[in-house]
Amino acid sequence: MSYLQDREPPKREERLSACIVYGGDLCGLAGKTRGCACMQDGERSFTQGSICLLLPGISILNSIPDNVNIVHGAVGCGACSHSQNANTRSGGNLRFGAVKDAIWVSTALNEMDVISGAETKLYNAVIEADRLYRPKTITVIASCVPGIIGDDIDGVVDQVRSQVAARVIPIHFEGFKTKIWATAYDAVYHGLARSVFEDPRFNEPIIKDDLYHERIASEKARTVNLLTVSSMGLADEQELSRYLNALDRKVNVFPNFADSDSMYKLKYASLSISTCPTHDDYLLDYLKEEHGIPHIIRHMPIGIENTSAWIRDVAAALGKSDVAERFIARETAELSAALERYKGFFKGKKVFISAGEFRALATANLLHDLGFEIAGIRSFHHDDFANVEYEKLLQTASAEIPINIANVQPFEEANLLTALKPDLFLGHWNGNSTATKLGIPSHVIYNTGLAYIGYRGAYELARRLYRQLSNPAFNKNLSQYVRLPYKKEWYAQNPFTYIKAHLDVPEGYQGTEEAGR
Amino acid sequence: MSNYIERPRYFCSLGGALSTLEALPEVIPILHAAVGCAGSIAWAQNGGSAFQVGGYCGGLHVPSSNVGERDVVFGGAERLQEQITTTLEIMDGGLYVVITGCVTEIIGDDIRAVTDEFADKGVPIVAANTGGFKGNSYLGYDIVLSEIVKQYVKKDAETKKKSVNILGVVPYMDVFWRGNLKGIRELLEKLGLEVNTFFTEKDSLADLKNSSQAALNIVLSDVYGVETAKAYEEEHGVPYITAPLPVGPTASAALLRQVAKALSLSLDVEAIVEAESRSYYKYLEPLVDLYNDADLQKYAVVVADVNYAVAVTRFLLDDLGWLPVLVQFTDLLNEEQRTQITAKLQGHGDAPSPKIVFDTNASEAIRYINELYPKRESDKYTDTISPAFVVGSSLERALALKIGAPQLSVSFPVSNRVVLDRGYTGFSGGLTLAEDLLSAAVTAR
Repeated sequence: MSYLQDREPPKREERLSACIVYGGDLCGLAGKTRGCACMQDGERSFTQGSICLLLPGISILNSIPDNVNIVHGAVGCGACSHSQNANTRSGGNLRFGAVKDAIWVSTALNEMDVISGAETKLYNAVIEADRLYRPKTITVIASCVPGIIGDDIDGVVDQVRSQVAARVIPIHFEGFKTKIWATAYDAVYHGLARSVFEDPRFNEPIIKDDLYHERIASEKARTVNLLTVSSMGLADEQELSRYLNALDRKVNVFPNFADSDSMYKLKYASLSISTCPTHDDYLLDYLKEEHGIPHIIRHMPIGIENTSAWIRDVAAALGKSDVAERFIARETAELSAALERYKGFFKGKKVFISAGEFRALATANLLHDLGFEIAGIRSFHHDDFANVEYEKLLQTASAEIPINIANVQPFEEANLLTALKPDLFLGHWNGNSTATKLGIPSHVIYNTGLAYIGYRGAYELARRLYRQLSNPAFNKNLSQYVRLPYKKEWYAQNPFTYIKAHLDVPEGYQGTEEAGR
Repeated sequence: MSNYIERPRYFCSLGGALSTLEALPEVIPILHAAVGCAGSIAWAQNGGSAFQVGGYCGGLHVPSSNVGERDVVFGGAERLQEQITTTLEIMDGGLYVVITGCVTEIIGDDIRAVTDEFADKGVPIVAANTGGFKGNSYLGYDIVLSEIVKQYVKKDAETKKKSVNILGVVPYMDVFWRGNLKGIRELLEKLGLEVNTFFTEKDSLADLKNSSQAALNIVLSDVYGVETAKAYEEEHGVPYITAPLPVGPTASAALLRQVAKALSLSLDVEAIVEAESRSYYKYLEPLVDLYNDADLQKYAVVVADVNYAVAVTRFLLDDLGWLPVLVQFTDLLNEEQRTQITAKLQGHGDAPSPKIVFDTNASEAIRYINELYPKRESDKYTDTISPAFVVGSSLERALALKIGAPQLSVSFPVSNRVVLDRGYTGFSGGLTLAEDLLSAAVTAR
């Protein structure tokens, strides 16, 4: 059943048994696929700051054209928009031919607001923003403070809707409520689905002739939904659209940079396709339950094998398998020839990967394709969607490689990298400083200006890694003079020393306890 | 007064405190906050601090208690105690500073009680209540430095006559903080002073500890750092003066005179000023032809924080000889501060005073310009803002495009420049700013 009637989506700890604490080897994690409950209550006695769902959440909202994002919280919440604005500017320029800054404003809650509540301030802010910017949509997001003081943003939005021209979308991003920031995607989809999926009235035909339903049906049959992630740039979006076009389908791209006036069209498609299972299940389930649209959520099209598998799944659902096989054969032949010159150089080099779970695992797959040896993987959280990827990894990597589930926690990473000494590190945005300061050549695992996805992404990544590895002088030189803030003794300890023993250990569980204290 | 702040050009008080701690040598910040606070600030630096994120212990390396729903219900003091204990085991620092975010501030955790237990055992540790809703990052800078002054800086130190501390330049908010502090140190060293700038590679934790021996605190801002200077005065009896950020020859000369007077130094300041000015203008000598031939004098629009709005406007008026027509302050300021600042931006001779507005919503700048230069399409002869130049943040690129002007980003957020040791302070800093302004004006040449 859809969660849509609720004001907030459930947090992922509950909905998907997602967790953020694991330290062990691949064998341990891949072997536990019979149940994740054992990791539920894992905690660290030492933790480092990380991000919360508000950051990836508003990165999507900042990309939506003609949206004003009102951050209801302290003045620092939403400051990450300064970074995301680079994507809004360049992404908008590439797609619409004009550079525009994202518009976000803050209600900047102060001590008085904390004591007396700030619903009136928010109400007035929505009205002022509507008058000044004349946006199509206004997203009203709640950060921690309104969550604690009890401001009812849904109530305010209900009241103010009739006063403004823009469509107003309340979204809950109270950071303290969940440690799984992927809950952000559920929150965004939840907000959008509740507020902007209605058919516009102009869509209603004046005269419904005999062919009305046939026309709708044939349009639906020719259209598929492609769910993008905010870490994908236009190059990646175009690569996937190219495949879908080759299967004779029109593509609705959603939600990044999607026009809010066209979002209702998601309902008029014959299939929805995910690019990242971590992102999309919430919306896909909704589209299936409410509108009967089937979906595919299995592979992330990063890596040659994964991309081919992604295309095959789609083609099978569309009854186009023969076309797909010819397409895949031609594309992969061309790609293998192009990759030849790099493979020898990469062969046997050890690579360590750190990112969101699905992205990290899919990228491991790609790097294996390119000839690298996987030295270890860190993922920001774990849920059961990834089990299939761990199984894949078991076939290409040693069962003894370390697997670390952590909402970043670079101290564990520093320890692991010092011991493993990989030849290359691939990490998340803002997550490469550990490796760099240790002198390890490093490359960012997503940057919306670069290509990563599909066959094209495989080639472009290879080309970039070749460049990075050809002259790692920046990292090597830096490591001689700059150091990480950890004590020498820390590097001599087990990297998972600060993972506390789990509270609910099921019978027969053989996980991380030997590593824990 | 608007009910919101458009694209706030600062973080919260926690963000300002954290950024300040990240820039101090050997300091390990400990956040007692929700999980996302550190990341939010790291991403904000990533977007606005001219490609500078974190420091020795910054970014996502920062220890943080990551309080959750359970702590909101039961209190987070126990979690903080555990976090400090483990931080001391892992993190290598000379001073540990606990700062709070909104969540722990609202639930009312008594962090001082927790840190006192550690301090009693001899751990160098400080606690500061910086919960984000208290204010913006400039306030955070003052809160955390004031607490360090009260809880860490040496008591009863003997005053060193020629030693001064520099306050008011806020790391990561002033993206040129390192270069600016270096420029200030070099400027004041000309008076034979020992200059403690706290945040540069030349400074050390010992200098911070011993900063109470300074004979004078120099606050180079009309707003930022004043509270810290007051804390020094109350706790350690160090007097202070305030002055604008000294950008270019006029402001630098004024600072030298002011400091020499405050410290009753017996040296010939005018000789120093004369020599420095001579050197400054020697560099301008070969520019003379093209400065005139290319008609490089401009009308200027300045949209910036307090430090830059004042310093850049004065530099343009007094040194470069441009005509600032509009100065928009994007900080939140009280009446007294507004009056005091307005008084500093008076024109001279035939150069009129610019229009001064205090408005956090910078997209309103175009409205103020249109008020100054009403457009009447039918007029054949009409005064316009052309040739104009916009000095502000990266967000003023949109404004510059609208009025057809070149633009330079100097005030937070600076997303389109990479800053390492560049600075605009002192006599030579004026040359650097002139280079940057004029280069932006001639890129199409």
